[in-house]
Amino acid sequence: MGQEQKRTGCLSRRALTAGLSAIATLALTSHGFAQTAAKDGGGLGTPEAPVEIRMIANEAFAKQWQTSMVPEFNKVYPNIRVKIDGVPYAELLAKSLLDVTGAKPTYDIIIADDPWIPQLARTGALLDLKKGAGQWTKPDYDWADFNASPLAAGEWEGVQYGVPLRSNMLLMFVNKALYAKAGLPAPTPSLTWAEYVAQAPKLVQDTNGDGKIDSWAVDTYFTRDSLTPTIWQTILNSNGGALLDKDNKPAFDNAEGVKALQAHIDLLKFAPPGASSHGFNESLQAFRQGQVATLFMWGSVFKGTAVDPATTTLTPDQVGIQVMPAGSRGPGAHRGIWSGAITNKSEHPQAAWALLQWLSSKEGEVWHANALGVFPARKSTLATAPEQAWLVPVYAALQQAYDTSASGQMWRPRLAKSDAVQQILADETSRAVAGQISADDALKSAAKKIERLLK
Amino acid sequence: MTVVDQMAPGARRIRGRGRAADVVSRWAFMAPAALLLLAVLAYPIFYTIQISFAELDLGTFTATEWVGWDNYLTVIEDERFWNSLEVTGIYLVLALPLQMVLGFGIAFLINAEWKGRGLIRALFIIPMVVAPVVAGGVWRMMLDPLWGLVNYWMGLVGLGPFDWLGDPKLAMITIVIIDTWRWTPFVTLIATAALLSLPRDVFEAAEIDGANWWTTFWSITLPLLVPIIAATFVVRWLGAVKMFDIALAATNGGPGRATSVINLFIYEEAFRSLKFAESAAMAVIVLVITMVLTAVFLRGTRKLEGMY
Repeated sequence: MGQEQKRTGCLSRRALTAGLSAIATLALTSHGFAQTAAKDGGGLGTPEAPVEIRMIANEAFAKQWQTSMVPEFNKVYPNIRVKIDGVPYAELLAKSLLDVTGAKPTYDIIIADDPWIPQLARTGALLDLKKGAGQWTKPDYDWADFNASPLAAGEWEGVQYGVPLRSNMLLMFVNKALYAKAGLPAPTPSLTWAEYVAQAPKLVQDTNGDGKIDSWAVDTYFTRDSLTPTIWQTILNSNGGALLDKDNKPAFDNAEGVKALQAHIDLLKFAPPGASSHGFNESLQAFRQGQVATLFMWGSVFKGTAVDPATTTLTPDQVGIQVMPAGSRGPGAHRGIWSGAITNKSEHPQAAWALLQWLSSKEGEVWHANALGVFPARKSTLATAPEQAWLVPVYAALQQAYDTSASGQMWRPRLAKSDAVQQILADETSRAVAGQISADDALKSAAKKIERLLK
Repeated sequence: MTVVDQMAPGARRIRGRGRAADVVSRWAFMAPAALLLLAVLAYPIFYTIQISFAELDLGTFTATEWVGWDNYLTVIEDERFWNSLEVTGIYLVLALPLQMVLGFGIAFLINAEWKGRGLIRALFIIPMVVAPVVAGGVWRMMLDPLWGLVNYWMGLVGLGPFDWLGDPKLAMITIVIIDTWRWTPFVTLIATAALLSLPRDVFEAAEIDGANWWTTFWSITLPLLVPIIAATFVVRWLGAVKMFDIALAATNGGPGRATSVINLFIYEEAFRSLKFAESAAMAVIVLVITMVLTAVFLRGTRKLEGMY
């Protein structure tokens, strides 16, 4: 009895210890779970109780998504209603930031440009897609299939906040007909900056024989714009230079940086009159009208600028697309990925993640590329034969650009103050392009301001 | 003894109560509008002032730490801020007198009796109702050295080509031209109304006295119009000092910083660089400068009104 009592007492203590351990484990687990995983917020909806998610996106493609992408998504997820609000690019970051930091954000999904994920994630307002939404990730969602460069655009400090939805790279558009007219071979991806500049004078030509110059070698961003510095930055990167060092201090204020900026400025010698005020729209217009032989531009506009009969008289056989000319390090490219991210306070995170997963899945990407001509980020998609012929050279250029940008870290600063850095660079380099100061002084001034900003 | 002194104390009390009721009822009518004004005008201003003295946490979008004058010092040390103030000054000095002279000049022409002036008056309103972004974009196209009509037309008479948007000096002229195209009709409308309201008998008397056109203009029309000109100037000044949409659409502040007017700079620093606290400090500084200058202009206006 005594032994029994002793045994009983011993069992009780064990049972008590085990019970307490179980409760503690449960409490810790549930606490940990609450930190990393979100509530499903109505899941994927039912016919009786559909869920509605809202997205804020660039107005340039918001309407296209609403009218074409959402109906396609609803074939797979009929109980998720999607509303997309388009906002002009210039206001998109500020509006997204104001919304996600509010007590009750309007939007479940934020579509962020390449340098914005760190700025949004820093506020703690974005959902960790691998941990927070991991429970709803489909088993066949292949993270490893993404090219490293576009996937990295949605990552910050080791956390994956976004997935690539509309991939884009700074590429070189070529009007092969103008090269032929000038008696020059069409460029290949092995073209170097030295060769390009040597050929440029011949590409400034009178094509109709009336004695007036009517075609020029190049057009691109020259105006005061936050995207203008990406051109000289790509030249810098292709020569092995970098914008910032590993401690986030300016690394461009040197001979290599000045040479790169001067190379950008010197392109004006071979550009159409008034090109110093040209930006996105004007340079597209010049290429579309067959007035320039090359255009350094975001690849995503290739269809509308170079091959779409509704917007240009150029034909697919007249044009080409490839990485930007090579420097001492290799070819140039510059990343510009639109990533989809979910807000932490979303009431329907499962539905939001379902949309992002579908659109960035292998099937979704193939549909997106073939139906809307949107550039994919997955290796498997780029390895397929696209339904539209104009996409064939684009896929080859994209794959090379992804590899190039990943190895050369060719992207805008991944910082919480990325846009402020870009604005300073735009300001100072524009002064150099306008001839107000030298390239050397512009970079010195920019470096000083950026150092102060990031202190 | 006054009438009030002669009144009985009871009557004074009743009258006092009546006055109090009157004051209360007046305030009761004014209170909703006053509260609304306080909410939509005073709150944003006080919030801006609060942010300008604090560090703004982007995570919560609230002012967190009081930093005293730090944001103001940062702004004052930023040469881009001073450059933008200078650019704004140049724009105002060029645009305001031009718009005033053109506006009143056109009003004189329209005021004369000629066929079709009604149609011209109606057409004059068009630039005012065109959205600034559209106006900037259209002018951008017209002034483009490659495709633009302006250089083509000027080329026909042997002028140009001009790089309207790419040349730092010409870019400011371009902004002034677009802004003048947009706002001169506003001045013209006010001036036309003012001219129509001038007393006819004075002009008739001058005519009988044999005054010529110039004497009539210099000695009668202009003095009578001075208060209107001054008031129009103040109204236009308040509009012009806020200008940034035309610069944003036409040149985006470039080339270099040639057209980076102060409001465009504040907008860029706040909404592109996300430096809200420094931008708030800049906004407060600009508000103070504008208030001081507006007070000076109003004082000048009152003096002119007194003189004429």
